[in-house]
Amino acid sequence: MTLNGWLQIAVFFALLLLAAKPMGLYMVRVYERKKTWLDPVLGPVERLLYRLTGVDAETEMGWIEYGAAMLVFSCATLLLTYAIERLQHAIPLWNPQHLAAVEPYLAWNTAASFTTNTNWQSYVPEQTMSYLTQMVGLATHNFWSAATGMALAIAFIRGIARRESKKLGNFWVDLTRGTLWVLLPICIVYALALVSQGAIQNLKPYDTVTLVEPQTVTAPGADGKPVTTTVTTQTIAQGPLASQEAIKMLGTNGGGFMNANSSHPFENPTPFSNLLQMLSIFLIPAGLTVTLGRMVGSPKHGWAVFAAMAVLWFAGVATCYWAESQPNPLLHGVDQHVATAGPGQSLSSGGNMEGKEVRFGIANSALFATVTTDASCGAVNGMHDSFMPLGGMVPLANIMMGEIIFGGVGAGMYGMLIFVIVSVFIAGLMVGRTPEYLGKKVQAFDVQMSMLYVLIFPLVILGFAAVAVLIPAGLSSLSNHGPHGFTQILYAYTSAAGNNGSAFAGLNANTHWYNSTLGITMLVGRFLMIVPMLAVAGNLATKKIAPPSLGTFPVDSTLFTVLLVGVILIVGALTFFPALSLGPILEHLLLRSGISFS
Amino acid sequence: MSDIVFLAVSLAFFFVAVLYVYGCQSLKGGREDA
Repeated sequence: MTLNGWLQIAVFFALLLLAAKPMGLYMVRVYERKKTWLDPVLGPVERLLYRLTGVDAETEMGWIEYGAAMLVFSCATLLLTYAIERLQHAIPLWNPQHLAAVEPYLAWNTAASFTTNTNWQSYVPEQTMSYLTQMVGLATHNFWSAATGMALAIAFIRGIARRESKKLGNFWVDLTRGTLWVLLPICIVYALALVSQGAIQNLKPYDTVTLVEPQTVTAPGADGKPVTTTVTTQTIAQGPLASQEAIKMLGTNGGGFMNANSSHPFENPTPFSNLLQMLSIFLIPAGLTVTLGRMVGSPKHGWAVFAAMAVLWFAGVATCYWAESQPNPLLHGVDQHVATAGPGQSLSSGGNMEGKEVRFGIANSALFATVTTDASCGAVNGMHDSFMPLGGMVPLANIMMGEIIFGGVGAGMYGMLIFVIVSVFIAGLMVGRTPEYLGKKVQAFDVQMSMLYVLIFPLVILGFAAVAVLIPAGLSSLSNHGPHGFTQILYAYTSAAGNNGSAFAGLNANTHWYNSTLGITMLVGRFLMIVPMLAVAGNLATKKIAPPSLGTFPVDSTLFTVLLVGVILIVGALTFFPALSLGPILEHLLLRSGISFS
Repeated sequence: MSDIVFLAVSLAFFFVAVLYVYGCQSLKGGREDA
């Protein structure tokens, strides 16, 4: 670890702190339909959309109607994306490479993935998806799924803020305003900023260039025997990349235009673009804490939630940075490596650089990995599979905690609010009083739904992972055995259920087993968790607000932040600790003893 | 054929999700709930 590395992490957090308040206050104005400076441009567009779709913007919905509208919308857009993928070869638009139709299992997995804001990618995008599919099928989903998450978070906040109301807002209005007022304007400016750094934006066919140094490659031929060929040219993929990159990060989607994601120089060209990308992942989730505080009438509560998120974020990045700064014990001190690097030196001096971009280094790779899994983004600028065992455990543990450390756009906020409900319930049990949250009694139904939300998550992850490690279809596509292989499988289901989408890599998930089970995991992890969350919101909205008394647990205090962090750690860590013990923790201990698995 | 299977799986999932909405709602109704 270096001072320079810590300073870069500190600058990142300082900029996030500066951006959170204006972003949060702006979203309050957007969702409360107050005047903004974009109204003259976007107001007519909004009204036209409502007129075309027959939406009555003045009619509000109860939680059941709100949830049903969200489900219908998600189902329709999933099927639309599936159809585009399957028909891309037949649509004479923006397919200069003449890419074939996407295979059904993969197409369904991808449609489920982008509908749920997961953006898990079992495919190589530049070899599989036409420009049309990338733009109309996938990038639009990046907007819709993010705007859906934000709408749901706002609905939950309204449930807390309102008294004796059965309404949570209008899903269609929240979806539209989130897209038009928040996501689109920022993405336009953001995409241009990325272009200024070197990200590409075009509809050209792929370039072919002649290599300066021809490469000799040996690979198995059709008969299985090794065949040596000399490669003299390279294909360089092109495409409308910057525009997709902007919403990929801002919407915490994470699906790369290229297979290498944010480690590709066209997606993430410079250290400055890297900083922008990390900040944009947290921008809306951090802003939503301010939105929460303002809309419920307790700005300090919003900051208390922000503080809990910040503490957990720092714990993650410090652990990951420390772990990656350690040399790999299998390389450290090995004679031939010392000889290669020079007398008295090790190839792993400075830490573990395997799987990392030299232009970002260890600090920014550890920070990126932490941020992208604290949120439900899943973009990567380094390969998590190549991290040291404890370094790789941080992204995994972040997702396992429910991605509530700032979290996904909207999803992080409503996930965190569920933990807030559980925390005040526990606080109420401790003092023997009916728990209250901002003056509202937390009762049996609220706790039942909150626990349903909390329990579905480990159930789907551990259930599918347990089956996958027992059957040949689950084991056949592993690249490593032993605890590392187990971690690859566990990470895949955790990433899918958490709607993160980052891959530990090393696992070939483009198989019928993984495409279908991961698709189901993503749908369960998104929609079957949203429903109980909305039920809590709908129930809270109907309640009276009681004035605070001596027995009221203050939710704007340091004690509340400590309790909230404790509950998150206990629920997240204890639920998954046995699985983590069999994966990265065991691998760490074995690696220290000089044992590794191929 | 696969397309029809995946169409059916998708519709079935969202149908179950809507039923799940009403299942959650049916749990409400204890005397302590407002």
